[in-house]
Amino acid sequence: MMKKSSYIRYVSAVAASSVLLGLPMSLQAQPAQINQTVFMDGLDKPWDIAFLSDGTMFVTEKCKGLSVRLPDGTVNNLLGMGGTEGYSMTADDLFCHGQAGMNGVALDPDFDSNRTVFVYSASRMGDDPATNRVLRLTVSDDFSSVSDRTDIVENIPYKQAPTDHPFGDAGAHNGGRIRFNPGDGFLYVTTGDNHNSSLPQFGDNLGSKVLRIDRDGKAAPMNADALPDGFDARTYTYGHRNVQGIAFHPKSHQPIITEHGPWHTDEVNALVPGGNSGWDPRPNMAGRGDCPDNYCGYEPNQNDGMDPNERRKYMPMTDYETYPDAMKPLWTNNNYSQGISSAAFLEGEQWGDWNGRLVVSFLGIGFGDTPVGQRINVINLVPEGPEIVDNTEMPLSAGPARFRGLVMGPDGSLYVATDEGQIHRFTAE
Amino acid sequence: MLRILMCAITIALTSTALQAADLEAGKKLFANNCAQCHGPKAQGMASFPSLAGRDASYIQSRLETYRAGERVGANSGLMIPNARNLSDEDIANLSGFISQIGK
Ligand code: HEC
Repeated sequence: MMKKSSYIRYVSAVAASSVLLGLPMSLQAQPAQINQTVFMDGLDKPWDIAFLSDGTMFVTEKCKGLSVRLPDGTVNNLLGMGGTEGYSMTADDLFCHGQAGMNGVALDPDFDSNRTVFVYSASRMGDDPATNRVLRLTVSDDFSSVSDRTDIVENIPYKQAPTDHPFGDAGAHNGGRIRFNPGDGFLYVTTGDNHNSSLPQFGDNLGSKVLRIDRDGKAAPMNADALPDGFDARTYTYGHRNVQGIAFHPKSHQPIITEHGPWHTDEVNALVPGGNSGWDPRPNMAGRGDCPDNYCGYEPNQNDGMDPNERRKYMPMTDYETYPDAMKPLWTNNNYSQGISSAAFLEGEQWGDWNGRLVVSFLGIGFGDTPVGQRINVINLVPEGPEIVDNTEMPLSAGPARFRGLVMGPDGSLYVATDEGQIHRFTAE
Repeated sequence: MLRILMCAITIALTSTALQAADLEAGKKLFANNCAQCHGPKAQGMASFPSLAGRDASYIQSRLETYRAGERVGANSGLMIPNARNLSDEDIANLSGFISQIGK
């Protein structure tokens, strides 16, 4: 419960701001004050964060590896990628290129008893083509080292070579967020399409999917019931473009994802088992002709500015005409693509009316006069089901950044990794 | 002989551009139009290269290349629209400002 004095403060702040700004009431149902501070600095492309209940914080850096920050501020370097020094374990097969590298991190729900951590990373073993893998490791009792590496998923596609597309370098559309669902206890893994049109609608590969697996990497048994014939049973949903965010509704535990759009239409999607997100960038279908390097993902005009609505008609993010049963997005970012990167749910009374709301982050990118949009949105979904009743923005008292990864901390603050190399903390009072 | 002469001309042009550079204007342009990709300190982020430590003539020539719509690396498509509307003066100011970040 909010204390009475803070409630009064809250009400008067709302009243004051409504006089000053003349905003409709729905935009103002927020805590009295939200402070944005820099919690950690000097990191190298931090990508994801995972907390224990005492504040112990695991962080991935895309080109360095996995570290842990203890509540007293000590940082221990645990798993280093190829070429790094000063890590308790170094794995020479792990590498970064473009959007790929060490991406997501998740802690086992039973961490206290099994000391298990999971990471998603690009890996190149010998002369084999590189892939993305999900690694399972055991953390020592004093948090100074990791051991027992087991690769529980070995074959998530990685983009091998550059192509003629925006962001066309190798390593593109690499997905990479991993989270345990408190509802069913399974690990969810988000992947991307690698600028490869033969991944999204085909079940013989793990690209453009959300996977649902157990701690050994085995398919959740009920996946298969909902999937089309012939699909890899680890698949939960398919037909995605590039999913970098996933969070679970606090009441229903339904997975909610964020999906990067192609110069238009970033999506927030509520997933259903076996669902198709409707992305199919193949050439010579759905009214399209040939496309650069067999991928129509940024057509019809990939190198120049164009009205996002025109783009959408030619290359829809969700193609209902071809896939009438495709999952309908909850929100499409007003048809803009601004680098939608991550999702979490706010938790705690201190957030006032924002308690339980979905937050989604944006890296920010403009193209051909579209707004850049670096921000964090606060979205009110109706409790019974996936529907949006309000959508507003987190105040940024310390300014915008390329917000990459959002996670709730055990202290009730929201922690955000930025491409600038910082972890920001948003605290409500 | 010709090459030496060309060189001299390039240096002369560059130094005029540098002298003319309005660093304050360059700073503003950079903060509003470039920092969201290249980073507030031009340190580079994600798919966007670091510009730190580059000298002014390098930056200037790259910006002119992109302005002309010519590709350099795999991600030129992202950079070309940002250079298209820059004037010579903008380029001089930006090159001057960026080359002295962190110095
Ligand atoms: C939308 C993101 C974006 C914005 C905004 C942007 N750039 Fe770039 N810039 C890039 C990318 C991507 C590249 C690499 C392009 C390539 O592969 O050829 C680049 C390359 C460059 C380079 C060449 C770097 C090198 O190492 O050769 C310079 C110089 C540069 N940008 C300056 C600027 C300036 C000045 C601005 C502001 C007017 C700006 N950029 C705005 C994305 C951006």
